Amino acid sequence: MTATATASVPREKSEPSADVPLSFSNVSHWYGEVVAVNDITATVNAGITGLLGPNGAGKSTLLQLAAGLQSPSNGEVLVYGKSPADRTSAYVDIGLVPEHEALPGNMSAHAFVAARAALLGLPDIKEATAKALATVELDNVAHRRVGGFSKGMKQRAKLAAALVHDPRLVLLDEPFNGLDPRQRVHMMRLLEARADSGAAVILSSHILEEIEGLASRILVMIAGRLAATGDYRALRRLMTDRPHTVHLRSSNDRALAAELVAHPSVVGVEIAFDMLMVRATDYAAFARAVGPAAQRKNISVFEIKAADESLEHVFAYLVAN
Amino acid sequence: MSQVREAKPHSVRWIASARAIVHLTWARTITPMLLCGMAALVLLPMLFALVFAASGPLSGDPVTFLVDRYDQLVVRIAVPILALLLGTSAFAAESNDGTLMYLVTSTTPRWWIVLVRMVFAASIAAALSALAVWGSGRIATGSSDPLGVVSAFTAASAFGAAVYAVAFTAVALITRRALVGGMAYVLVWEGVLSGTFPALNFLSVREWMLAIAASMTEATSKTMATGPTTRAAYIGAVAVTVISIFIATQRLARPRLSKTGS
Repeated sequence: MTATATASVPREKSEPSADVPLSFSNVSHWYGEVVAVNDITATVNAGITGLLGPNGAGKSTLLQLAAGLQSPSNGEVLVYGKSPADRTSAYVDIGLVPEHEALPGNMSAHAFVAARAALLGLPDIKEATAKALATVELDNVAHRRVGGFSKGMKQRAKLAAALVHDPRLVLLDEPFNGLDPRQRVHMMRLLEARADSGAAVILSSHILEEIEGLASRILVMIAGRLAATGDYRALRRLMTDRPHTVHLRSSNDRALAAELVAHPSVVGVEIAFDMLMVRATDYAAFARAVGPAAQRKNISVFEIKAADESLEHVFAYLVAN
Repeated sequence: MSQVREAKPHSVRWIASARAIVHLTWARTITPMLLCGMAALVLLPMLFALVFAASGPLSGDPVTFLVDRYDQLVVRIAVPILALLLGTSAFAAESNDGTLMYLVTSTTPRWWIVLVRMVFAASIAAALSALAVWGSGRIATGSSDPLGVVSAFTAASAFGAAVYAVAFTAVALITRRALVGGMAYVLVWEGVLSGTFPALNFLSVREWMLAIAASMTEATSKTMATGPTTRAAYIGAVAVTVISIFIATQRLARPRLSKTGS
């Protein structure tokens, strides 16, 4: 395969259904003459999905469309089979954490979350509020004004307001902004717990390591278009126009390099820092060839490691394409 | 998962959501600057009345004084500006900083959010306007109410403030420059155009206020004698309310949010 990742990644067909947490069908959205989202078709299922893209790629607009804050200029957005822009009942299932620190500063965290619980028609506002605040570890400062909160505390107050009704679809726009490392870990565990309980969590973040550690699936947006979707390791394998870089440690790197260079998938070898670096166009074929090659020369292979399969590399390649 | 799905008596849910809307409205509306502005508008007519009362018999006829001050100061300035501040502040601030999102991403019907907001703004605007009229009347005339002028203008200004507040609440959802839009209506439409083209008096909240005041007191003035009938005022008020609720509900279904994401 020599096609770019964008072209080679199969697009999913969305199937509007009450069981599908979130589906976009040929969704476009433009502000005046600026196209923010361009003909996106995708579904988001239970689990954690990372939404990636450079600044201005349309991530926030896509989340706003999912939350019903914007109506698509074209196409259809459905949350569990309902259009959030047209039916308020869809908000039973939606929790949104916006990017900006938008909070009513004069209210206490407790009053703010309780107001959300009341607006969502919860049967036990007190209990739901207390639970949501405890979940984000704000119960000790619940009666302080949110205007006096640190950025991380505001972020957690927004999360409490988004989770107060136990939504089945959680949309988070840069949720890790302003959180210290401990709070980040706590939020990651929280999101994992939500996903484990069957919720669909979609989060946009520019901190790729966190998405990498959390998301089972990614959606990559570039210039308003959906560039790729799926497991990022699978996406990397599909990028056959970009040779894979593989690091090997063995008992005889030079001899192994000489043996491997003849393999048709290998486009380059290099020995540096006591390590053999091989660039191969077909990762699977190369991996199958290493064992026999080492055996022929009686070489022991200690380590084989794909060096550019991280989310950061995949993202960089997609953006470059 | 979602506990929203569990049943709950409707009346309890409506009341709880109304309380939440009022709480959010109060938090966004009642700022120190707005309080100062509203206090100034309420106290200004009282200040004039205080000067009148302090001058004793030299001041002249209290009825003439009150009708002039009510017309020029309360009906033309204090009432519309009070209503403008109260009507536009919550939705305008929430649209600009993005906190409107917390209202609209809820299961509460849009029309209910709009109605509660309008009732909130209309009630406070009506109460403060009535206080400004009643307070200045008491200061100028003591406990007496010659020709029923204080009662008439108290009722009329409360009515006018409520209508203005309802309309300006809708304006806050229509335009980012709600204050400018509201001031343009008060100054240009009611101030300039209505004076030039008397037919426009039928579409002027100020003239409706004067019509209601004129129907309740025997005191008269030139402006009170030339406006629409009270029937026209009531029909106009109902029409403004219905149209404002309809437009605001439509706008809230497609809110403009300045800051929810990049």
